[in-house]
Amino acid sequence: MSILEVTDLRKVYTSRFGTQQVEALHRVTFTVEQGEYVAIMGESGSGKTTLLNLLAVLDRPTSGTVLLDGVDTADLPEKEIAAFRRDQLGFVFQDFNLLDTFTLEDNIYLPLVLANRNYKDMAGKLKPIAQELGIDTLLKKYPYEVSGGQKQRAAVARALITDPKLLLADEPTGALDSRSTDELLGLFSEVNKKGQTILMVTHSVKAASHATRVLFIRDGEVYHQLYRGNDNNEQFYQKIQDTLTVLTTGGEKA
Amino acid sequence: MKLGFYLRLAIDGMRKNSRLYVPYLLTCSGMVTIFYILGGLSHTQVINTMRGGDTIAMVLMLGCIVLAVFSAIFLFYANSFLVRRRNKEFGLYNILGMNKVNISRILVIETTLTALVSLIVGLAVGLLLSKLAELILVRMAGEISGYSFWIDPSSLIATVIVFGMIFALLLLVSLARISLSKPLDLLRSEATGEKPPKANFLFALAGLLILGAAYYMALSIETPLAAIGVFFTAVLMVIIATYLLFVAGSVALCRLLQKNKKYYYRPEHFVSVSSMVFRMKRNGAGLASICVLATMVLVMLSSTSCLYFGGEGHIRGNYPYDIMLRVHYADASECNDRSLSEISAAALKEAEGREKNVVSYSIYLTDGLLTDGVIDVNGVDRKKNAELVLNNVRSVGIISLADYNRIAGTNETLSENEALVWSSDKPYSAKTIAFDGCETVKNVRTVKKLPFKISTRQTIVTLLVVVVPDWEEFTGEITRYIDKLNDDTEHSLIDGTYEQYVCFDLSGTDENSQIEMARRVEQSVASTTSVGFLWRAADSFAENKSEFFGMYGALFFLGIALSIVFIAAAALIIYYKQLSEGYEDQGRFCIMQKVGMTGREIKKTVESQVLTVFFAPLILAGLHLAFAFPFVNKMLNIIASSDPVLLTVTNLSCFLLFSLFYIFVYRQTARAYYNIVSDMDVNRQ
Repeated sequence: MSILEVTDLRKVYTSRFGTQQVEALHRVTFTVEQGEYVAIMGESGSGKTTLLNLLAVLDRPTSGTVLLDGVDTADLPEKEIAAFRRDQLGFVFQDFNLLDTFTLEDNIYLPLVLANRNYKDMAGKLKPIAQELGIDTLLKKYPYEVSGGQKQRAAVARALITDPKLLLADEPTGALDSRSTDELLGLFSEVNKKGQTILMVTHSVKAASHATRVLFIRDGEVYHQLYRGNDNNEQFYQKIQDTLTVLTTGGEKA
Repeated sequence: MKLGFYLRLAIDGMRKNSRLYVPYLLTCSGMVTIFYILGGLSHTQVINTMRGGDTIAMVLMLGCIVLAVFSAIFLFYANSFLVRRRNKEFGLYNILGMNKVNISRILVIETTLTALVSLIVGLAVGLLLSKLAELILVRMAGEISGYSFWIDPSSLIATVIVFGMIFALLLLVSLARISLSKPLDLLRSEATGEKPPKANFLFALAGLLILGAAYYMALSIETPLAAIGVFFTAVLMVIIATYLLFVAGSVALCRLLQKNKKYYYRPEHFVSVSSMVFRMKRNGAGLASICVLATMVLVMLSSTSCLYFGGEGHIRGNYPYDIMLRVHYADASECNDRSLSEISAAALKEAEGREKNVVSYSIYLTDGLLTDGVIDVNGVDRKKNAELVLNNVRSVGIISLADYNRIAGTNETLSENEALVWSSDKPYSAKTIAFDGCETVKNVRTVKKLPFKISTRQTIVTLLVVVVPDWEEFTGEITRYIDKLNDDTEHSLIDGTYEQYVCFDLSGTDENSQIEMARRVEQSVASTTSVGFLWRAADSFAENKSEFFGMYGALFFLGIALSIVFIAAAALIIYYKQLSEGYEDQGRFCIMQKVGMTGREIKKTVESQVLTVFFAPLILAGLHLAFAFPFVNKMLNIIASSDPVLLTVTNLSCFLLFSLFYIFVYRQTARAYYNIVSDMDVNRQ
């Protein structure tokens, strides 16, 4: 069953006075199945972030549709978007986006508090997640007191605590050192094995090589895709690398 | 060329930060303006030749000193804010190869420019407005001034020196700060993760206790003059408590709220409470300053305006007639000499004055402590419970039934053991009246209204007027007792005086000639030898009024001038607070939106926080004002019979006016805040 269906998605940015138009997404179509772990790769300016913003309903497409679990996000009234975002989606960002005025614990609770859940439920949910992510001893600390990797794990906990249908990750390893990157990617794989659908935007080959499928975007279109099949991480890494080489050394669009 | 380079850097830096510098320059200039005007006014011809001009000049000079001290403290605060904001820029210069000497040069140029602009603009405005200020002041003091324009060189020089010194001091502090810092710290200073404030419950508790104690002290003061030191201690305590409460108390309160999980983990409290902790840590001191400034403005304005507007009534209370001639005699029989009225009438006729409502009477005046119908003339000085003394002390004036009937045109009769008693304030409740140490006891018939107006000079003390048929014998007994007491003791001189009053109003005479007539009457009494008096005075209402308004008009004027400065300072603090919060909230807005808050929700929580932060100082200032009220009332009562109703009115209207102004400043600065915050809209990245 596909959890996400993106059809003919197009996004045109118009400058303030309407004199200049930039087409960030030309025509993007793809689907993500329940339980999949999809990486989207592309160079800077290829439209990755625009795509993510559209999926997160932070922005509206110029044309085309995004169906999340059968719901057309364009049909959502303005008032419900925020609730939709926090109930259905989990976010992990490159720069963590933790609020510096909250402890890690409170940062993780934030979406639940906004959803009006009572404290007992929240505490019950946090415990297993915090243990799984190895941050149970850090919960009372403030973001500035912990390392980048720990911050990102807290951010993952915040994304997962709502049991989202889809976990959206935007360059999650971008600000991490290699050890933390490995840890985080390992976590993502584990979470995915337990059934969590993940969509990750990245330009790190290493990050992408952990996914089950990789989509390549160039000039606002899905240009190519690779399935992992039975490859292990190293083999899949090589395949992605090769594809990127072809893409960048000028393989004209077939 | 090198200088030109630094000059350009300095000017560029200030221009790029015009959001910060323009209000700063305006405030500096405003302070310069007011300083010059106050100093200049104290030297002007018209004020020095005015009646009470010396007092006015002194009040204005005192105002100048207050203003200078305040300016120094305040500009220090504003300047440190500016330098902090620009640390990043200086850090960048440093990394790009400028050393600290170069940066110091930029700072020197900037400060010089700031000083020059403030002084030039401030003095120019000061010169323009000084005449207007003079007209207002002279008008408030009840006089008329000429229209000649003036420049006061000595005040000009004083202003330049005082503010030059303040700016030099600011520069030194900034330079010290730069030379002590490391470049990377400068670069990072705004971005470093902020330590979460620790709740200091001890300080918070201390704040509450100190505030409570100060309020209690202010309320429990019974004798304002003796306790003026106590009151200033209370003021100091309130200031300390305000800072403690805003800095530590607010954080502690938020922490307590956070501990209550059921309350804290609600969507409407979660974000507000946790960001409030940080907001209060950063702004606590600024808010406390606003609160203290607001309280100062409110107390100053409400009390000076109360004095000013209540002035006429107060003077009328003390001088119920246009001219009041008082002559002090040695004994009762001399005091009964009727020729005084004739002398004054003759003098007045010579001066072509037309009198009306003429009243003359002989009165015996003393003070005593009243208990159960017995007046103890020796009781006041004893160290007794202050409250008891205050409630029971009475001024007593004794007049004869003959005088009473003559003035009232009645034919009242009293038997030997009877007296009429009239009380100015607290009702007389005992059935009899007697003096301690005297044998005579009289049954009392209370009187609701006196047939003449009597001067209530000591307004804090209730005045009793006692009418007796046997005036000379009755007062003679008291005099003998008082004389005996005074012979026995060395220190306390108990007063009992025989005075004769001749009072009248004048018709068709302006105030200046009233004063002149009073002088003529007094002279003619002095030169007439037919009555042997000890002391005489002819007071005119007009002269006292002009003296009073000279003094309190100037105080009120000073109150307004200082209020303007304080308010401007408060406005600048508020503005800077909004700006700094705006920069800090920008990023937070964005994150909250991403994790699932609607823009409206965010705006609502932010608005509620900003409002709380903003109006907390105003509310606390109102509370301070309310607790200062009883003391201020008692204090004003001593200066001039203050009317609690009038004081309430001036308190409330000052608070209202100030609130309106405050809201106006809030709305203006809130706009700056939202502009910054909305610069970073997640949808428009």
